[in-house]
Amino acid sequence: MINALRWIVFAIAALAMNFPILVTLSTSFKSARELSTNPGLWVYAPTLENYATVFTVSDRLNIFLYLANSIAVATLGTLLAVALALPAAYAIARGKLGERTLLPFIVNLRAVPLIIFAIPLYMMFQWLALLDTRLGLGLILTIVNLPLALVILVNAIRDLPGELDEAALMDGATRFQILAKIIAPLCRPAIVTSLIFGFITAWNEFLFGLMLTTSNAVPITVGASFFFAASGGGVQWGVASAVMIVGALPPMLLGLIMYRQICGSMTAGAVKG
Amino acid sequence: MTTPSQRAPSSEFRLLAVPLVLFLLVFLGFPALVNLVYSVSEVSFETLRSPEITGFANFTAVWTDSSFWQASWFSFRFGLLTALLECALGLFLAIFLSPLIEKRSWLMAILMLPLMVAPALIGLMYRFVLHEFVGPVPYYLWTWFGASFSFLGPASAFWTLVVVETLQWTPFAFLLFHMAYQAIPKEIIEASAMDGAHYRHRLWYVELPLMAPTIVVALLIRFIDGFRVFDNVYVLTGSGAGGSTASLSIYIYEAFFKQGAIGKAVAASVILFAVSFAVLYGLNALAARRKGAR
Repeated sequence: MINALRWIVFAIAALAMNFPILVTLSTSFKSARELSTNPGLWVYAPTLENYATVFTVSDRLNIFLYLANSIAVATLGTLLAVALALPAAYAIARGKLGERTLLPFIVNLRAVPLIIFAIPLYMMFQWLALLDTRLGLGLILTIVNLPLALVILVNAIRDLPGELDEAALMDGATRFQILAKIIAPLCRPAIVTSLIFGFITAWNEFLFGLMLTTSNAVPITVGASFFFAASGGGVQWGVASAVMIVGALPPMLLGLIMYRQICGSMTAGAVKG
Repeated sequence: MTTPSQRAPSSEFRLLAVPLVLFLLVFLGFPALVNLVYSVSEVSFETLRSPEITGFANFTAVWTDSSFWQASWFSFRFGLLTALLECALGLFLAIFLSPLIEKRSWLMAILMLPLMVAPALIGLMYRFVLHEFVGPVPYYLWTWFGASFSFLGPASAFWTLVVVETLQWTPFAFLLFHMAYQAIPKEIIEASAMDGAHYRHRLWYVELPLMAPTIVVALLIRFIDGFRVFDNVYVLTGSGAGGSTASLSIYIYEAFFKQGAIGKAVAASVILFAVSFAVLYGLNALAARRKGAR
């Protein structure tokens, strides 16, 4: 009896929280004609014409460019963040370096409204000609990803027994060798987690994409909003829905496949941060 | 034997941290410096590279700007309300659904899905969902209840945004609480059951106190994320009628990009910067002291 109630609560919660996604998914398969008569979730005459429109390049809208930009900047922002965080995490966890200064500063960074750095970064990027480039946006996404990557990696290294390092030091290994040959391979699960998590965060970022790009490096989160700016007539809701599904699908699939790892990393970042 | 063997690795460690520190200096240290200099300068897009230091006029302008206070109040209220709602709902779901999810962890994936989608896209999705003429929610409200309601009108926009944010981020609180709930040692629960504790008492006197630290952390994280909200609010209502739905992030963004008021935007950034770090370091110190006391 109580279990039936639990299932009902689960169904309501799942439906309410995923409601916009479900509506958008269903709308993306509706023709313009069906849309005007059928606002419900069920699609009577599913069509792919909205997706065909989305994937048609026009001089104003180019979905392939937005997707390629998102892949490029998210990859750069994720790999660079982990590459910077891993050696630093090792120095913090084992060398007790900056445990009271660098670590809390970067952890706090996760909680700071990043808009406070946005304006000087905009001006700096103007001087460096990094505005509207993938490199520029990727560098900013590195900052966004650094705090969580560092926390995950510091925790992972702390969990490894210190005898590993000591034994290797006895054998004459340098710290660099220990990091590359022992620590990094043992931390692979944590590294993978921070990569996945970083990729999803970077893919979903909007504020800096909006501020720092205009045409060449526009990511999909910003590009999707271009489809709403109607060209004559009203917004084509079917097409707009299709573009949102396309933009939301990669992180959703990653999340569905890797949800166990993501659960762990979210709590790591939260509890220790 | 201590000195050489200890000194050598520490310099190696320093070298390992250098790239990160350099990166932070360039991409955060330098911008912070620019913020400080520009906040006390007279600057426009024409004189961007040669700011003239003039004093605290920008700060006075922000301090006396009623939209700044309106935005601060919006951010604070939004952060507080969404944090409380998300944590209350998340806590209820974590405890009530735990027997289901313990056995079928894939249910978790369904509840987590909203966390994977960009808040900006969720905001755009709600533009359709709540649309007066084509959106399903107003349609069913009308056909089933004969009610029409302007979700994004000035009177209700704030509450609509609170619900939008809460529905997307309750899964985050739920996830934290689920983990904390699972981490309660089974012996403790069994012992209290042996002592004949009623389920309600067990929940109130045993389980919730054990989860208290997680609840505090979740409230804090959700408050901060709500306070600095930008994406979903920006795409749904922008700053709203008369700036009624402008968060501080939107205030700064619009001061810079829409009004070209660089000085004001930068001064507001510096204020937000100082307050954020003061609060965060205060909390860190508090947490450290509590840990020390234990």
